[in-house]
Amino acid sequence: MTTMIVVALALGAVALFYTAARNRSKQSRNSFRPVDVQALRTLLDRDDEIFLREHVSYRRFCRLKRRRISVTVRYVGRVAGNASVVMRLGESARLSPDPEVARAAAQVLDLAAQIRVQCLLAFVKLGAEFALPSLQLTPATLALKYQALRDNVMRLGALEMQNVAPAAVAI
Amino acid sequence: MKPLMANLVLAGIALQLPLAASVLGKRLWRSFPIFATYSLSNLIVTLGLYALRRGVHVPLVNFYAYWICEGLSVLLGFGVVYELFRELFRPYDGLRRMAAAAFKWVLAGLVALACVVLYAQSSGEQNPLMSAVLVTEETARIVEVGLLVFLFAFSRAFGLHWRQNVFGIALGLGVFTSVELAGIALQTHIGPAAFQAFNLARALSFNASLLIWMVYILAPERITSTAELPQRAQLEQWNQAIMELIHQ
Repeated sequence: MTTMIVVALALGAVALFYTAARNRSKQSRNSFRPVDVQALRTLLDRDDEIFLREHVSYRRFCRLKRRRISVTVRYVGRVAGNASVVMRLGESARLSPDPEVARAAAQVLDLAAQIRVQCLLAFVKLGAEFALPSLQLTPATLALKYQALRDNVMRLGALEMQNVAPAAVAI
Repeated sequence: MKPLMANLVLAGIALQLPLAASVLGKRLWRSFPIFATYSLSNLIVTLGLYALRRGVHVPLVNFYAYWICEGLSVLLGFGVVYELFRELFRPYDGLRRMAAAAFKWVLAGLVALACVVLYAQSSGEQNPLMSAVLVTEETARIVEVGLLVFLFAFSRAFGLHWRQNVFGIALGLGVFTSVELAGIALQTHIGPAAFQAFNLARALSFNASLLIWMVYILAPERITSTAELPQRAQLEQWNQAIMELIHQ
C-alpha cells in the first residue's frame, strides 16, 4: 500500500513538472488583459445584492450570487495574471545598471508579489462566499496595494524606457 | 536487456560531456556552484563506475562504490534544490521570508512522511544491507521530490517567473528524481526481480534530464513581448474598478 502511494505521488510529480513546462511557454506569451469595467461595476454592486436578497427567494439569490462570484473570480484572476506580467517585466529592469531604475524595479516586483498574495486571499474569500452566499467578505487591501503598484510602475516607466515602459504606460 | 542498458549508459556519458562543456562554457558555476559540481561529479562518477565494472569483478567493491556515489549524488541534489530556491526568490524580497517559512514547514512535513515510509515500508529485498540502503534512498528521494513539487506549486500560486536556466535545472532534476523515486519504491517492494526494469527506467530518465538541462542551458532566454498591452485609459478604468471592489 505504502509503495503504491509513493509511486502515485512520484508519477503525480512528473505530471506536475510536465504541466509546469507547458504553462511556462504559455506564460511567456501572456500580456495584460482588458476588463469590461461597466459589467464589473454592475457585478460588484452590493446594493444590487441586498436588493436581490430582499426580493427573490433564498435559493434563487444563492444561484445568482454564485454566478456573480464566478465572474468576479475571473476578474481577480486577471488582476493576478497582470501582476504576474508586471513581475516578469520588472525582473529585467531590476538588473539595470542604473541603481535608481533597479531600486524602482525591486519595489514594483515586491508590490506585484504582494498583490499576488492578496489575490490568493481574495480567491479564498470569494470561495467562502461561494460556499455560503449569505456571507459578505471582500478582499481587504487588494486595491491599496494595486494603487501603490501602479504608482511605482509609472515611476519605473519614467526611469526605464525599454521593456518596462509599455507596462508603466498601460497601468 | 543488457546491450540496451550498456547503450543507455554510453548515451548518458555521451550526453554528459556536452553538458559539462555547456556548464563550463556558460560559466554556470558562478550562479549555480552546486549544480555545476553535481553535473561534473555525475560525469566523473559515471566514468569511474563504468571503468570499475569493466576492470574490477568484485561485486562488493562495485556495490559500495555505487551506493557511496549515489549517497553523494542525493546530498548534492538537496544542494541543487536549495540553489533553485535561492535563485527563484532572489528578486522577491517580500515573498522570500514567507517562502522560507513555508519551505521549512514543508520540509518538516516531508521528513515526517519519510519517517512513516521508513517505518511502514515492507521490503521484498532479502539482503538486509541492500534493503536498508534502498529504503534510505527512497526516503531521501521523497523529501527531494516533495521540495521540488513545493517550488513548482509555490511559484505557480504566486505567478513567479522562472528564468530559463533555473527552470531547466528544476525540471530536469524533478523528472529524474521522480522516476528514481517510483523505481526505487517498486524495487524496495518487489525486490531483485524489479532490478532490471528499475535500472532501465533510471537510465532513461537520467538521459532525459541531461537533455533537458542541456536544452535549457543552451537555449537563449525568451524576450518578453509587450506588443499587446492595453491602452492607458482602459487600465485607468480597470484600476478604478478594483478600488470599487475593495471599498464596496
